[in-house]
Amino acid sequence: MTMVSRVKPDIDFIKEIQQIGGENLKKCYQCATCSVVCPLSPMDKSFPRKEMIWAQWGLKDKLVNDIDMWLCHKCGQCSEMCPRGAKPGELMAALRNMAYRSLVGPSFLGRWMSSIKHLPKLIAIPAIIYLIIWFITGSIHGTPFPLENGKIDYSLLFPGDYTIDPIFGLATLFIIYSFYKGIMKLKQVFDSQPKTFVVGYERPKTIWHALYDVIKDEVLTHKKFKDCGEEESDEAKFKGHLMLFYGFLALFIVTGVVAFTHWGGKVLPFLHMKYPMPIYNPIKLLANVGAILLVVGLVYLTKRRLNDTGKDASSYYDWYLLGLIWVIALSGILSEILRWASIAGLAYPVYYIHLISVFMLIAYLPWSKLGHLVYRVFALAYARMIGRVSTEVDEQKNKLFVI
Amino acid sequence: MSKSILVIGGGFSGITAALEAAEVGHEVYLVEKRPFLGGRVMQLNKYFPKLCPPSCGLEIQFQRIKRNPNIRCFTMAEVVSVTGKGGDYEVAVKIRPRYTAPKSCDLSELAEKLNANVKNEFEFGLSSRKPLYMDVPFAYPGRYVLDIDHVSEEEKKLLSKSPFINLKDEEKTITLNVGSIIIATGWKPYDVTRLTNLGAGSIANCINNMQMERLASPCGPTNGKIVRPSDGKPPKKIAFVQCAGSRDENHLSYCSYICCMASLKQASYIRDMYPDAEVTIFYIDLRTPGRYAKFAEKILADEKVKTVKGKVAKVEEDMATSGVWVTAEDAISGNKITELFDLVVLATGMQPSLAGESLPIDVEMDSEGFVFESKDKGIFVAGCAAEPLDVMKSAQSGTAAAMKAIQTVRGR
Repeated sequence: MTMVSRVKPDIDFIKEIQQIGGENLKKCYQCATCSVVCPLSPMDKSFPRKEMIWAQWGLKDKLVNDIDMWLCHKCGQCSEMCPRGAKPGELMAALRNMAYRSLVGPSFLGRWMSSIKHLPKLIAIPAIIYLIIWFITGSIHGTPFPLENGKIDYSLLFPGDYTIDPIFGLATLFIIYSFYKGIMKLKQVFDSQPKTFVVGYERPKTIWHALYDVIKDEVLTHKKFKDCGEEESDEAKFKGHLMLFYGFLALFIVTGVVAFTHWGGKVLPFLHMKYPMPIYNPIKLLANVGAILLVVGLVYLTKRRLNDTGKDASSYYDWYLLGLIWVIALSGILSEILRWASIAGLAYPVYYIHLISVFMLIAYLPWSKLGHLVYRVFALAYARMIGRVSTEVDEQKNKLFVI
Repeated sequence: MSKSILVIGGGFSGITAALEAAEVGHEVYLVEKRPFLGGRVMQLNKYFPKLCPPSCGLEIQFQRIKRNPNIRCFTMAEVVSVTGKGGDYEVAVKIRPRYTAPKSCDLSELAEKLNANVKNEFEFGLSSRKPLYMDVPFAYPGRYVLDIDHVSEEEKKLLSKSPFINLKDEEKTITLNVGSIIIATGWKPYDVTRLTNLGAGSIANCINNMQMERLASPCGPTNGKIVRPSDGKPPKKIAFVQCAGSRDENHLSYCSYICCMASLKQASYIRDMYPDAEVTIFYIDLRTPGRYAKFAEKILADEKVKTVKGKVAKVEEDMATSGVWVTAEDAISGNKITELFDLVVLATGMQPSLAGESLPIDVEMDSEGFVFESKDKGIFVAGCAAEPLDVMKSAQSGTAAAMKAIQTVRGR
């Protein structure tokens, strides 16, 4: 017997999705071309057609609990082949934006991160904090642009031990907690979804094994990114994202080493290093390589977003993150150059901007598009656990059969 | 002022318009680009609504044309210029040489003596023909055509001995005075090479629906046996891919009206011929206008005719079997299907013949190439030049266009 259930559309939800990137979803007539042309969509309960009809019907529960939004890497193939211009790829991105916005609280942060009109507030928080610090330290030195033996030293104004590490440490704890909450929520949501039984698929033993596989097979190699689309613009996206990823990884390692030697140096004095490091120090070299990778990656990604408007449009979430990383990379590099050039009047304000932008990247991370760093990786690992993998990627293995 | 009517296009709607006007006493010029009348209907195996073979309806029309002195037919002819205004047009028509005598004799023996084998456009490339040919045995006019570009000098010497060949035939241009013009230029199957995800015409056993008509037609390349083009074997599993180019803003943005019915009809060809064959129709919406719903019910009652709601978006050749892998998402279950078929038929849409081309007539066209009538100018449109239609509605629109043209030339 067929169960007939009355669809209860959440009209406000439909409007909300349309606002944050799914504006064309009403054009869809359910031909299912999108699910077939998607290089990543699994054979069973394929996406993104089902998401399109859920969105048209305003089935909020289904959509916000959907693991598939994280399996999509937005190559735009579906939007390009769509006979109606309904742009399913944009809907998938909109769903992710919605997750960044509402997966974890505080809800005002999610809201502030969703629209450009709130941007001044987001800038103001770190800007005011560091302006106060600057004001105090400047008063102590008797000048806003102090020099140490005639050289620029940023720690004169913003001493790491008291003004940088505690603030960023707190921000880091805040986001770790938020991500923990987010992942728990995702897990709960995914656990409640119906499971499929896949013959011929060897499941990872635990979520940690799955996580290891995801990082090894997908994150480090960007394999899915590579599989996702074959055009020149897809290639640019793959290269750009890969460089950006390794640029960030390099800078993360640098920050880690610096923090470790600095704080460790207080206990074990031999770890102590002198700052600023000389340019030939391997850690400094790594930092500079990371910065260059960031900029080259940014050029690729920005060019693609500007040129490749035919497929899928870019949302505020895309531009916020891209713009922010530009500011971080440029202000970081400029800080270094201006320090060498001893132009104090410019160097300190640029470093100030650098601090603001890094704060914005870290403290707001779970509510920005960069949240995918955690959510997507978790979802991909979870998908491996339940056998929700695309057959195309597993081509070397035998064909999968879904029951 | 002229009371004559020009009909451009000798397909079903053009013939109907010409006959309706001629049979009430108007002088009609019927101009057809190809060497024979009958248009797309002539290429069908059977046509709606009664599933007659084309010889059935067209034979009668040809008799009516033959007996009516008011109709002048020009085949291999194209309108090259139109000057003047409504009620008084001067039309130049270019007529290509046919190189055969105006007698309906059987030149098949002579044709066999020629060497060249030319790709047969009438059969959509499924077979080749000799340079001296007729499309089908009952073609009208029943007069052979010589495709002189494919005849060698020596063969010309041989041909010149025949009293039914006229190698001195030349291209000529004639001028007609007419009061009204009916555009009945019809349609062409959408170019499959543009459907890159559906094989782009490069897979032997992935054919279009017009090729299917030719395979099923008793006077077609296989004498009516539906077989795979690659190896001539009877197919056991056949898929129909609906909306191949239609309802797609990247191709034809409109519904071609009759392809769903055409596929159901072709499913019946297959099922009548092969009691064991399985047919799967992949569709977005099965559109069965008006009374056609009854026909659809009948065909779909057959348990070997299956339907899947989901557009095929990927078609790949299986190198080992020359079969065709078809991938679609069944939108009801939400699962993707990848299945191997022996033969795949793309239900390609109707594109107006004038798409990408231009008529030397000042009329408005939409972005797809469909023509708008212009009452003030006395220019009317019949059949699929105006919109996608079935044969019955094409005939109706031909009659309607004839009525309007008559009103123009007679005044009201």
